[in-house]
Amino acid sequence: MTNDSATVVLDHITKSFGEFTAVSDLSLAVRAGRIYGLLGPNGAGKTTTIRMIVNITAPDSGWITVFGQQITPELQDRIGYLPEERGLYKKMKVGEQLKFFAALKNVTGKEADQRVDRWLTRLKLMEWKSKKSSELSKGMQQKVQFITAIIHEPELLILDEPFSGLDPVNVEVLKEIILELKAAGKTIIFSTHQMEVAEKICDDICLINRSRKVLEGSIREVKRSFSRNAVALRLVGGESVLEDRAFISNVQRHSDGVEVLLAEGATPQTLLKELLAADATIERFEMIEPSLHDIFIEKVTENV
Amino acid sequence: MNKLVAIIKREYLQKVRTKFFVIMTILGPLMLVVFTIVPGLLFSMKAGGDTRIAIVDQTEGVKLYDSIRNSLLKLERDQENNKQPGIADTANGTTKERMETAGKSMTGNFQVEQVNSGRRSLDEIKRELNARIGRDELDGYLVIPPDILSNSESKASYYGRNVGDVFTRGQIEDRLNSAVRRQRLIKEGVKDQDVDALSEPVDLATYPVNEKGEEGAEDSGAGFAMVFIIAFLIYITILLYGQVVLGAIIEEKETRIAEILFSSTRPIQIMFGKLIGVSLMALTQLMIWGVAFAAIALYVMPAMAAQGFEDINLPHLPPFFFVYFFLFFLLGYFMYAAIYVLVGSMVTTAQEGGQLAMPVVFLLVAGLYLAFPVIRAPNSSFAFWVSMVPFFAPITMMVRIISQTPPFWQIALSLLIGIVTVVLLLWLASRIYRIGMLMYGKKATIPEVLRWVKQS
Repeated sequence: MTNDSATVVLDHITKSFGEFTAVSDLSLAVRAGRIYGLLGPNGAGKTTTIRMIVNITAPDSGWITVFGQQITPELQDRIGYLPEERGLYKKMKVGEQLKFFAALKNVTGKEADQRVDRWLTRLKLMEWKSKKSSELSKGMQQKVQFITAIIHEPELLILDEPFSGLDPVNVEVLKEIILELKAAGKTIIFSTHQMEVAEKICDDICLINRSRKVLEGSIREVKRSFSRNAVALRLVGGESVLEDRAFISNVQRHSDGVEVLLAEGATPQTLLKELLAADATIERFEMIEPSLHDIFIEKVTENV
Repeated sequence: MNKLVAIIKREYLQKVRTKFFVIMTILGPLMLVVFTIVPGLLFSMKAGGDTRIAIVDQTEGVKLYDSIRNSLLKLERDQENNKQPGIADTANGTTKERMETAGKSMTGNFQVEQVNSGRRSLDEIKRELNARIGRDELDGYLVIPPDILSNSESKASYYGRNVGDVFTRGQIEDRLNSAVRRQRLIKEGVKDQDVDALSEPVDLATYPVNEKGEEGAEDSGAGFAMVFIIAFLIYITILLYGQVVLGAIIEEKETRIAEILFSSTRPIQIMFGKLIGVSLMALTQLMIWGVAFAAIALYVMPAMAAQGFEDINLPHLPPFFFVYFFLFFLLGYFMYAAIYVLVGSMVTTAQEGGQLAMPVVFLLVAGLYLAFPVIRAPNSSFAFWVSMVPFFAPITMMVRIISQTPPFWQIALSLLIGIVTVVLLLWLASRIYRIGMLMYGKKATIPEVLRWVKQS
């Protein structure tokens, strides 16, 4: 990983609150133009890490660089942030509210007006523009909050659990926008504990647990390194092969097939040959990769 | 800088458009009137019917009964001649006059009866009268000792159900006094008709003299009312807008907006944006009141005077007064607003905020109460020290400036102490604000808050 092309670099970051260490000796690099998943269970230190990247809090030790510079309030204008704990001014009209948040990122005047209208139209909220945000449903409020994070067209977008509480239709709408932004060359940090979502969206991931990094890399690499040489099978016959401990170390039977773990030294090819030799009818033969979910569970529980 | 302007603008525009602001702008002056005039009116109310009094006159030949009775009943006739004092009179009179008119009308009517002692002993009579009071046939009775005219040590006694009504008691004492005095004078040979002329009370007119030795126009007591109104105005606006600041801080914490704000600009800029925004809202309101007041003084009052209403003499306020008012108001506002920011950053809900802010309100109320002794002796050392305490200065120093302007160095010193306090409080508030606003879930403890202050 080259740090030259990295949008965000954390170098041995530590942050404590009194006795409690929220982030401990964390180093990571977020590459430009990619979606970086910051994963971990609740309380792992994700939000604290993000707050340090956006300059809300400062680390006790270590260095943070964003866009190759040390973070300053001026750089904040190039970052968009959708916090997990988020809200709107209840009694303020949606349109005014968005203009205010745009002004906080130094987007003002006509430019701000145009962007507000564009995004409200895109997210089908135009008719709510002059309603107070307390009149909006939760899902609509969440979309408004999403607009506040992107209205200044940030080069770095940080989304903390952006989909929590959204219905599937709106999840798809936001996902589409996120992928568009990625295509436009923006860097996105995506924090979540929902592994299914991360698996579909992220290019790279970093798993933190109990304030420490336990895993980092591209989704491909991570999965490959966790590949357990497992094969999913649906067979008619060939039972003798499955009993052969020379090939197979473990068999798990499901309702519509079996999952086998190959013994050391055995390859899928040899298993296939043996099965054919045993005259089994093979309906399914598939190498299984571990899901991010499995890796997450394995990593998080092994550390306990 | 643009961001600061955006925050100020949002805070100001959103707040000025609220119903709260509109209602307060209209109700504020009304409240002021209610708080200053209504207590006086309430005092002058006497609920219930006539006061029934029996008089046990033990003097030889029962010389005093008629006199006292006349005194008590004459009072009613006086009142009928005067009619009820109007509100304008009440508000305009000196405190002493006000108390007296209030006292007069308060006593209501008397019903007086004589008790014939016959051959009964005083104890017997008293037993009977006490029983009548117990049956609520009588409100009280007066016992006049035999030697009251000759012996100055002699004491008359009043027995009554409600001796807590100091005004009625005072009237009885007053009338008794004049009756006894009258009889004593007659006894010494003064002619009956001369007594009234000799007892004529003296009118005292009051004129202020300023530090340059110039006399002002006669002060009818409106000066006192003005001082009190200004003190109350500062008190109520600081309290009100302190609460607005508290509400704004807690709103951003409760709705978690603080996190988005903090990711956009420095917390200190947000804090100042809010404080300045709310202060502009307060100044807007004060300005509306000021213009309304000036309009009444310039157009309505002369029109009323032309219509034959009594000209209410408004005290003259020199221009420097407005400068001081502005300075001390801002001083007080920022002092208490900083404390409210501090409180708002520590709590999680508006209710908790209200509880924790109670001591702050007490501090402000104390300032208002201290204004009373200061009005009475604006240049005493007590007034000096009290106006140097930054938390009281906005009210107490203002009271001194209006009633008897202290030397400039004292005003400057009070301002300086205030400004230093404000700077320290704002610094402290900003340290707690930037961390407290991101702490959700529970109210912060004092050790935690102290750690926040030290935290970089």
